[in-house]
Amino acid sequence: MSGPIHASLAATNGALAEKYAAFVAASEGALSPELVALIRQAVAAVHGLGAAPDESALDEATRTALAYARRMPFEHTAISDAEAAAVTHHLGEPGFVAFSVVAALADAECRAAQVDLPELAGV
Amino acid sequence: MSTIPRVSSAIAGEPAHFGSVLAHQPAIAARFFELYGAFWGSDVLAARIKEVARMRNARVTECGFCRNVRFDKALGEGLVEEVVDDITDGYETSDKLTETEKAVLKFTDALIHDPELLNGDARAALQRHLTPQQIAELGLGVSLFLALAKALITMGLEPEQMDRTVLPTPAVLEAAE
Repeated sequence: MSGPIHASLAATNGALAEKYAAFVAASEGALSPELVALIRQAVAAVHGLGAAPDESALDEATRTALAYARRMPFEHTAISDAEAAAVTHHLGEPGFVAFSVVAALADAECRAAQVDLPELAGV
Repeated sequence: MSTIPRVSSAIAGEPAHFGSVLAHQPAIAARFFELYGAFWGSDVLAARIKEVARMRNARVTECGFCRNVRFDKALGEGLVEEVVDDITDGYETSDKLTETEKAVLKFTDALIHDPELLNGDARAALQRHLTPQQIAELGLGVSLFLALAKALITMGLEPEQMDRTVLPTPAVLEAAE
């Protein structure tokens, strides 16, 4: 896998790197690859790390999920019950759980990139 | 911020909490607890250092559950409440936190709040006090603390009220023989 957290671990602690990769794979594997890619791109754009996804051809369910994901980096305490219910309506409860984890991990990965974690860890 | 669960428990008879909600996704739950147990079980970085970073994340992200939980291993390494009280804004002037812990707190603030905080001096201090392996482990920990706190909050799993609670430090569960 790629990403700053795994890269820093892979160079220093292979066992933890494997377990982190397995956790990310399980989380992302619970959603469609297309939705995972869009979540990661939308969250990265909020952090100023690349362009936001083109949503013009996306269905309502995906746009609702992406609007929610964009709140994760800086507005997580302001997300309303109604916003959460809208995502759950589209994804179901198991899907909402996976979505919450994937969006939160995407935010953490961006933040690790912004402090250049691999460089700090000597990679 | 909602204190009403937005996801039901997936375990019959149990209220909605992180474990019972994550049980909607058994594979994610299994891989998370394996990772979290291995992270806390590793002695590359002292549990006290990890807990200092976790407490700072709890306060900045406003995670009430995280803020009220204490892990016993760090307590055994001297992270008493008088020290925890100093993990707040102005920690730089604390006489209870070590210089290593202050460098860890600056890194934590940079990762969870503002990357600009990790300027040249702060980066140098972190690399002076911690080895590359320790920094990688710290980076994993702070990332997990942040993601876990945000997942808890957005799934409505914050407690309305919670007393300070000392819990066993997460550990890797041995496979049944």
